[in-house]
Amino acid sequence: MNLASLLSKDRINLSLDAGKKDEVIKDLVYAIKKGAEAELIVSTLLKREELGSTGIGKGIAIPHCRSLAVEKLEIAVGRTKKPVNFNAIDKKPVSLLFLIIAPPQDPGNQYLITLGKVVQIAKEITKKNLIQKPETPEDFITMINDIEKGLAKRK
Amino acid sequence: MPDIVEMHLKLLFDLDNLISDMEDESYKKIGFQIEEAASDALINKRNQLLRQLPRELGEIYEILKKRYRQAIAPVESEFCLGCFQKLPTQLAAQSQNILTCPNCGRILYWRPKN
Repeated sequence: MNLASLLSKDRINLSLDAGKKDEVIKDLVYAIKKGAEAELIVSTLLKREELGSTGIGKGIAIPHCRSLAVEKLEIAVGRTKKPVNFNAIDKKPVSLLFLIIAPPQDPGNQYLITLGKVVQIAKEITKKNLIQKPETPEDFITMINDIEKGLAKRK
Repeated sequence: MPDIVEMHLKLLFDLDNLISDMEDESYKKIGFQIEEAASDALINKRNQLLRQLPRELGEIYEILKKRYRQAIAPVESEFCLGCFQKLPTQLAAQSQNILTCPNCGRILYWRPKN
């Protein structure tokens, strides 16, 4: 599974204005869906956040859920202009978010595989201090591609 | 089906999938934090949504959930994605309502066209 191939330039926003957790989530969801479907996804994601923050620490969060509203695995990426309080595991605010929404029917278990991969890549981003490095969505995809190549070489 | 009922049904389904994922060992291994008290609150919320559905629909939902784990199946290209059987054309034409699959009985869901 190659994460870079699942990313799309028009779903990467590196200058999100939103300043609150629920606003950031909403902005990212609306990059994928609109209207009632988007509201369903937002409700499910916020319920997921109530179970425990998806802020994995060091400035990165990975909000995720399955939803009837999507036909295939969808990913949106956002970087906030100012760090946002996400009640993350290390209590530090979040700047970079990977939003992952999967359909309920997922025979290849692509959802959990992708989630695991994103966590792995997020750890590389923090380790190498790359959150603020990409200037454009294209740069971001290139960065993810490079990280994936690096991880593959280590195997 | 009134919009509010449809909204409750869809959210109930999404929350059931969320609860199911939380219990999945592969999910747990990824390492996201889950607070037990919040997990109980989520189950209460799904039960509350279930009670808000018309009684018959709620009962059908629970029977289907026990039978298949997922009570609702999306429809794609006139196929039920629960049992992968083609739906009768006249049923597909009624896509404004939520209906059940004549083959597997799952509640069918037509996503709105974007």
